[in-house]
Amino acid sequence: MTNLDRRGFLVQTGGSMAGLALVPEFETLGPRRLPETKAIGVVGIGRQGRAILAELNKISGAKVVAVCDPNPARAKAGEQRAAGAEPFTDYRAMLEKRRDLDAVIVATPTHLHRAVVQDTLAANKHVYCEAPLANTVADARAIAAAADAAPGRVFMAGFQARSNPVYQLARTFYRTDAFRDFIGGSAHFHRKTTWRFPTEVDNWRLDPELSIGLVGEIGAQQLDVFHWFRNQAPVAVSGSGSIAFHRDGRKVPDTVHALFQFAAGSMVTYEASLANSFGNQHEILRGTNGTFSLSWTHGWMFKEVDATTLGWEVYALRQQFHHDEGIILIADATKLAAQGQLKAGVGLPYSPLYYALGDFLRSVSFPNVPVPCSAKDGLIATIVGIAANQAVVERTSIPIVL
Amino acid sequence: MAAVRAATQAMGTRFELVLLGDDEANLRVIGEQAVERIESAHRTFTRFDSSSLVAHLRRTAPDLTEVDSDDFSLFAEALLVARQSGWSFDPMLGHGEIDTLLRLEPTTRQVGLVDAAATLDFGAIAKGHAVDLAVTVLREAGVQAGFVHGGTSSGFGFGAPEPSSGWRVSLGQGRDDPVLDLRDQGFSVAGAWSDRGGLRVPHTINPATGRALRADRRVAVVGPSARLADAWSTAILVSGRRPESLGREWRVWLSDSRHRWARLDG
Repeated sequence: MTNLDRRGFLVQTGGSMAGLALVPEFETLGPRRLPETKAIGVVGIGRQGRAILAELNKISGAKVVAVCDPNPARAKAGEQRAAGAEPFTDYRAMLEKRRDLDAVIVATPTHLHRAVVQDTLAANKHVYCEAPLANTVADARAIAAAADAAPGRVFMAGFQARSNPVYQLARTFYRTDAFRDFIGGSAHFHRKTTWRFPTEVDNWRLDPELSIGLVGEIGAQQLDVFHWFRNQAPVAVSGSGSIAFHRDGRKVPDTVHALFQFAAGSMVTYEASLANSFGNQHEILRGTNGTFSLSWTHGWMFKEVDATTLGWEVYALRQQFHHDEGIILIADATKLAAQGQLKAGVGLPYSPLYYALGDFLRSVSFPNVPVPCSAKDGLIATIVGIAANQAVVERTSIPIVL
Repeated sequence: MAAVRAATQAMGTRFELVLLGDDEANLRVIGEQAVERIESAHRTFTRFDSSSLVAHLRRTAPDLTEVDSDDFSLFAEALLVARQSGWSFDPMLGHGEIDTLLRLEPTTRQVGLVDAAATLDFGAIAKGHAVDLAVTVLREAGVQAGFVHGGTSSGFGFGAPEPSSGWRVSLGQGRDDPVLDLRDQGFSVAGAWSDRGGLRVPHTINPATGRALRADRRVAVVGPSARLADAWSTAILVSGRRPESLGREWRVWLSDSRHRWARLDG
């Protein structure tokens, strides 16, 4: 605990004041430090698994002791990224041999999550499962049920916006007069890439039997922002998709559009393409008093001219976007301003993945601290992604049944 | 034989890859993997992005952070060239010698900065590092011949475009300018001045003085690694001479103020 930030917050552990525990609080933006070393295994050393290893290396106290991938070359690559980690090609062998593991990060292909998560929870380990939870509703429900049936173990779904300090700040404003009433929004993901890998076994995203497409694999992360801000999921989705660029025999669309309908009638549009890079990844939420423009490492708030001026606005940093002026959303702005370092807070100093892993490991260290994205949250976001992919593939409109 | 090009913007310049082979679709996929490796190296080593590893090391100084074996090699080789060049190359931007401010723990593959005020600037080695990483991706994926460069100043050619014996890189547009023939070799070209909006401005810091190098010369280095070629070209640009510690596998050219190239043999 001595390495942690000196501030703390109270967590109710047993429903009474006597059960309140003082838990060290992370700095909003700064490096994550665990009070004591946690032994971690990472299953799945593909691109995401390697990114996870790089981020874990930056969390003091997070010690990767085992890496696992059925491809021996990948397992070896994991070893190169985590000094001293023991490589495995079978996660069951890893769980059997490495009884010292505190937690396991599951970064396998989406359709393989279920068995790994269930077996890992059964082995009494804490689990972080990459998003989306699964490629079928049945598997996603099974994962959520396994997490519910393991009350002593921490389970976190890897929907990262919920751990992102910029998004957390935006959400605090969302609930105030600065934003007021939600009228709709949009999100997009654009990256010019084939989405292919050299080895065919890695091309599960392009297998229509296994893949939940762009809207399910990537869109689910972005659409969770709307569920989380609004505390409700959409009730219906319509969609369409096409092969706009990569005419290489693939069946999974490289360009998709979807329209999500919420109960009150508001709509969110989603667009993703592997044929164009402009704009990268973005979510926009429109309210009657303001608009949030969020791009994972940065965020802006655009106020309507008739909205009430907020006291702190005079100190805010602003950025011009053609005719509109955005207030830059800076997490921990008050503290940074007091230090005369407000500009240093523009943009996250760590990746959104880093903050998500940090939150998970904090809950592993202090199991009474809830994770920002529970199994239930992950289940909802996954079901929305799966339904949206179905709408895209079938070019139809379908209800979303949670 | 198919030729596939891929490109990305990283480290303030444009990286370009040319891959030769029979399966165009597969080459394109492999090229994307190499591009991602370059972009990953950019995110790790840029000093202009607060989310880079370099920024993390400053925030957590004097703590150590574990890095992967590729990235550890960059730190280790930067330190090696700094020592062997007599500090003509030093990524510490004049705040101090890399030898005293950078901590390396090879057994645990950890790196750290002694002082949070220290600034690491890998601008004179990171491009070559990214090129080497990309070439490793291409070779491991089975590509037989290819060329990767970052902003035309650092690069690596492996295999050869038939019927040539190697990848030909000219050190200038003049008839007498040397033409490099690269086969399984990296190169780097360094100059003390750059053109910004029509103005000639110096852009290389002499670690010994902390001031901009104003010598009007250019250096080209060819050898087995783009990363080391990158670092050595800067070191030789600053010192103006070939260090005795530089092995015979390295070829060096130096141009004078009239842009006449001369070979500096070991």
